[in-house]
Amino acid sequence: MQFDFFQWLAGIPDWIYGVLLWFWHLIEGVFLWIWGVFDYLWTLVADPDNFMFLMRALFFPGLVFLLLGLIFIVWFTRKVWGRIQDRRGPMHIGKYGGLQLIVDAIKLVAKETIIPDKAKRWMYRILPSLLLLIVLVPFMFIPWDPYWNIVGAPGSAFPDLSVSLVLIFAFLTAVPVFALLIGWVSGSKYTLIGGFRAANNQFASEIPMIISSVGPAMLAGSLSLYGIASAQSSVWYIVLLPINFVTFLVASIASVGTFPFDAPVADSEVIFGWRTELSGIYFTMTYFAEFAEQMLYSALMVALFFGGFNGLPFLPGYVNFLIKFLVVFFIFIVVTSSWFRLRQDQIVRLCWKYLLPLSILNVMLVMLGLAYFDWLIPLVTGVG
Amino acid sequence: MKPDILEEASEIWFGPQHVSAHGWATKLTLIGDYIVECDPNAGYFHRSAEKCLEFRDFRQGSLIMERICMIEAFLSEYPYIAAVERLSGVEVPERAKVMRTIMLEANRIHSLQFWMGQFGGELGLFTMLLWPWVDREYFLDAFEELTGSRHTVSYNTPGGTRYDFTPEFLAKLDKAIVRLEERIPVFDEMLSGSPTFKLRTKGIGHYTAQQGLKWGLSGPNIKACGIPMDLRKDDPDPNLAYDMIDWEVPVTENPEHPGECDAFDRTRQRFAEIATSVDIIRKLLPLVPEGNIVDPKARAKANRLPEGEAYGRVEGTRGVTTLWLKTTEKAQTPYRAKIRGPCFASYYSLKHLVPGLRFADFVVVFGSLDPYPGWWDR
Repeated sequence: MQFDFFQWLAGIPDWIYGVLLWFWHLIEGVFLWIWGVFDYLWTLVADPDNFMFLMRALFFPGLVFLLLGLIFIVWFTRKVWGRIQDRRGPMHIGKYGGLQLIVDAIKLVAKETIIPDKAKRWMYRILPSLLLLIVLVPFMFIPWDPYWNIVGAPGSAFPDLSVSLVLIFAFLTAVPVFALLIGWVSGSKYTLIGGFRAANNQFASEIPMIISSVGPAMLAGSLSLYGIASAQSSVWYIVLLPINFVTFLVASIASVGTFPFDAPVADSEVIFGWRTELSGIYFTMTYFAEFAEQMLYSALMVALFFGGFNGLPFLPGYVNFLIKFLVVFFIFIVVTSSWFRLRQDQIVRLCWKYLLPLSILNVMLVMLGLAYFDWLIPLVTGVG
Repeated sequence: MKPDILEEASEIWFGPQHVSAHGWATKLTLIGDYIVECDPNAGYFHRSAEKCLEFRDFRQGSLIMERICMIEAFLSEYPYIAAVERLSGVEVPERAKVMRTIMLEANRIHSLQFWMGQFGGELGLFTMLLWPWVDREYFLDAFEELTGSRHTVSYNTPGGTRYDFTPEFLAKLDKAIVRLEERIPVFDEMLSGSPTFKLRTKGIGHYTAQQGLKWGLSGPNIKACGIPMDLRKDDPDPNLAYDMIDWEVPVTENPEHPGECDAFDRTRQRFAEIATSVDIIRKLLPLVPEGNIVDPKARAKANRLPEGEAYGRVEGTRGVTTLWLKTTEKAQTPYRAKIRGPCFASYYSLKHLVPGLRFADFVVVFGSLDPYPGWWDR
C-alpha cells in the first residue's frame, strides 16, 4: 500500500482530536468515579437514620462532646485533687480556673518537639495519636441514653453489637502495648523501664477486671453493654454485687496506671516512665489519652453497676448517666489521692492474690443465685 | 558476682537530671528489675563552701554555713558559731542560750516536716507531699517574723543572737506548734498507719546498729536502731540550754529485729524526733530569762581570733554536724574550715544498702535516710 501524504496531512486534526478525547474520557472517568463515590456517600448521609448516626458520632455523645467532657474532667480532677491536698487547684484563668486546660493545651502544642537521636522517628510520631484513637474508639459502645447513643438500642438502624463488652476490652488491651512501644522507640532506658511497667500493670489488672465484668453480664444475660444497662431498670447491680464493683474499680485504676498504681509513670523512680521523651503535642496526646481512659472506665462502671441511663424517671437518660458518671469519677479521684504507690510486684500480688479470687467468687455466687433463686431472674434482667 | 551474669546488666544513671535526684547522680547497675551495684557520686552540687569560708570574717562565716543546707539553716550555721565562740571566749548570755535552743528545735521540726512531705512525694502520694508543707508554712511565718527571712535566717551570731523574741513572734510560734500537735496524729496515721506505706517500707534498706556506726551514720538514722546516741544529751553544748530541762532521747525499737532498723523504723524515729522537739520547746518557752541577747563585747572579741583550733558540733536533723576551725595569730579569717556533714555517710551507705533491692525501692531507701546534697558537696 502506497503512503498518501495528503491523506495523512488531512487526518492530523482527527488524530489530535482523538488523543484529546481519550484524555478527556480518562479525566471524565476518574471524575465520575470520584463523583459516584461522593454521590453514594451523600445518599447514605441523606438517609435519616444515617444522618442522625453521623450527628451522634460527631457531636452529642461523640467526638465534640467527648473532647469538651475531657476538658471538664481534667479541670474537675485537678480541682478535687487540689481540695483534697489542702490547696486550691487551678483558679486564675476563666471562672474557677475552668479555662486552664485550654491554656495548658495551647502551651503544650506551641512547645518545641524534641525527638531524641536514638528514637525511631516515624513510630515516635505516629504512636501517641494511635494511642488516643484507640482509647476514644470504645466510647462508641457506651450507652449514654436509651436513644441518643452512637450505636443505639437493638432493633434500631445501628444497634449495639451483641458482644460490645468484649470488644471494649479488646480495644483496651491494646493501650499498654502502645505504652510499651512508645517506651521502646523513644530510645531511652527510663522509657523502656516505664513501658515494661505499663505492660506489667496490664498483665496484673486485666484478668480480674474482665472477670469482674462477667457478673453483670451473667445477671443481665447479655454481653452487649446496652443490654446490661437496660436490664438494670428495677435493681442496680451495685446492690447485688458490691464486691464486684470494688474489684472492678481497683483493677481499672491499676489498668489506667494512675496514682496508687502509677509505677509506669512514677516520677520519683523512672522520671516520667514511658512518657519521658515525649514533648509538645505528643505529650498532650498521651496526657489526654490517660484522662480519656479514666473517663471510659468510669462510664463502663456506670453502665455495668450503676444502671447506666436508668435512674430518676423524670430526667433524660443521659442526665442520669452523667450524674452517676461524675459520682463514680469522684470516687476514682479520691482513691487516686489517698494511697502510696505500690511496687510492680505488689501490684501483681494485689491483683492476682486478692482481686482475682474475689471476682471469681462473685461469678460463682451469681451462678448459684441464678440457678437456685430463679425468682430473681425477672428482677435482674428487667424483663418481668 | 560472676562476670557472665554482669553481661546481662544495664547501667542506669539516677541523676543528675532526675526528678528526685536534686543535685546528685548515682550509677545503678540493674539485672532485670534488681539492683546489683550502686555507685554514689558526690560532686554535682559543689559550691566550695569551705574555701569561701576562708575569705569571710568570723561574723560573716555563718551566712555561708546556712546556705549549705537551707532547710535546717539555724542548725547548719551553729557549728561555725560554736567554734568561733570557743576560740574567742565570748560569754553567751543566758537569754540567748535559751532562745537559741528554742530556735534550733523549731528549725528541726521544720526540717522534719520538709522531709515528711518529700518522702511522701517520693513514695507517690502527693497528698502527703502537700499536707506537711502547709503546716511548714506556719513555722516559716514565725521565722519571717523573727528574722525577716524565711530560709536564710542568719539568726545566730558569735556571742548570742541577732534578733530578740517579740510577742508577735511568740504568738506565731505558738500557733505553729498548736497546729503541728493537731496534725501529727493525722500524719502518723497517713504514714505509719497506711497499709501501702508499710508494704513499701517494711524490711527495705535495713541495717544493724553496728553496720550503721561503721558507716558513720548518726542522728535519727542510728537512733532508729534503738541506740540513744544524741549529742544534745551526750555532750551538752555549754552555750545551749539542753541541760536546763528534763527530756528523753527518742529511740525506736524494731520489735521483730532488735538493734536493726528499716525504712519504716526511720520514719517512726523522725516522728518521735518531732515529738521530742515539741516537748523541748514547750518546756523551754517559760524559762526564757530576761537580759541581753548578745554579749556586748562580742563584736570586738570575734573580730580577731587568737591562734588555735576549735571544733564546733551540733545534733542536726540529719545527724551530727561538725566544723573544725583553725586560725592563725590575730586572724581575721579562718586558716582552714573543715565541714563534716551528716549526709556524706548516709549517701555513701546506699552502696551497701541498695544492692539486692528492686529498682523501685531505691527512692524509698534514700528518702528514708534523708540525705541532702549540700552536706557532702561542701
